[in-house]
Amino acid sequence: MRPILTLALGAALAATLWAQQFKFNLDHLVSKASDSFDVSLNTSMLQFAGKFLDGKDPDEARVKKLIVGIQGIYIQSFEFKKDGAYAPADLEKVRNQLKAPDWSRIVGIKSGGESENIEVWVRNEKGKVTGVAILASEPRQLTVANLVGNVDLESLSDLGGHFGLPNLPKVPKKK
Amino acid sequence: MDWLEQELAMALARKEPAAGFDGRVRARLHRRPRWLAIAATIIVMIGAGEAWRQHQGQLAKEQVMTAMRITGSKLNRVQMQLKGTEQ
Amino acid sequence: MIGLTAVRQALDFGELMREHRAMVFSVAWHFLHDRDLAEETAQDVFLSLHKNLAGIETPAHAGHWLRKVAVQRSIDAARKRSRRPQVALEDVAEPSVRPAAGDPMLGGMLRRLIATLPETPRMAMILRYQEDLDPAEIAATMGIPLGTVKSHIQRSLALLREKLERRGVGER
Repeated sequence: MRPILTLALGAALAATLWAQQFKFNLDHLVSKASDSFDVSLNTSMLQFAGKFLDGKDPDEARVKKLIVGIQGIYIQSFEFKKDGAYAPADLEKVRNQLKAPDWSRIVGIKSGGESENIEVWVRNEKGKVTGVAILASEPRQLTVANLVGNVDLESLSDLGGHFGLPNLPKVPKKK
Repeated sequence: MDWLEQELAMALARKEPAAGFDGRVRARLHRRPRWLAIAATIIVMIGAGEAWRQHQGQLAKEQVMTAMRITGSKLNRVQMQLKGTEQ
Repeated sequence: MIGLTAVRQALDFGELMREHRAMVFSVAWHFLHDRDLAEETAQDVFLSLHKNLAGIETPAHAGHWLRKVAVQRSIDAARKRSRRPQVALEDVAEPSVRPAAGDPMLGGMLRRLIATLPETPRMAMILRYQEDLDPAEIAATMGIPLGTVKSHIQRSLALLREKLERRGVGER
């Protein structure tokens, strides 16, 4: 992963905070990370980026299709050289927001003796998925992601089949 | 013509411009007119603006692809784990 | 048609410049009383000729065209100039020695006096005495009525005579 990549969107960053569906600000971890990725892409930026995605490239074509329904992508992801660089409380603050009624945890996995933890949450509004949250943590890695919009879980499943990944089985919709 | 008119004719007789006049005119003929220089500058600016837009677009694209890779990889981990559980 | 084409082909820009540059420059210089500005104006006139050469039919047409454009550009240049014409009448000093006819000093004084005239009479006088145009030709070149040209010339001559007499300069 590349070092800090923060889109120079100026005021857009402040403006997009309301578009994020839950707040997460893990900037204090940047100085501790050996590598970090920080992106805030609102609707207009996604549309702009979409123009540069090559329809002839299979991966880019799929992403181009996927982002049609997505209104925002907000991700903060860190890698650390040592264990314990981030506190469990950092993740708990984020998780607490997902306990709101419109969020549902659809899947959570633990592996490696509970050292790896991934949770996938969806936001439901009137029977439609309007957002996805991914919380992923390992001793030396932390990722929080929010995909905003009418996210097609099937498309997300497709995405898992690319970038060298096998297909994700369909996850039943939670009513 | 009276004396004054004769004097005026002498006083207002044609005079040659300074030596090299023709060369100076030709030099200006081959010089780009200012409006053309300005137009060229504007075209360069538009080109630079377009280059900047292209650069920003490529940057945005890379951001989106990386974001998709990150979320994709996490979902893949979930999938692999679920498959392992199912089995 | 063939004859006209042959004549057109004979219109060489360089030759036209050589033939008419003194006329163009002098119109500008006598009008503007500023050598640098006159040179720049004269250059502009020939640049304009180069651009419009295809529309010039004969050498005589070129001469008329150049004179007309020289008049227009000189008047434009004077208007663009921020300050008034350099010479105020009171600046035209009285000579310590009365200049005689044909005396270059008198020529200089006359040129300075011409420069003090308002635009239209000034140009009319230049075209009359530099170019030896008759009033009808001056009217056509400047695009003003014949009567106006005649009255400008008459009044300007009267004014010059008066100024010269006050300075003790007159016909011997």
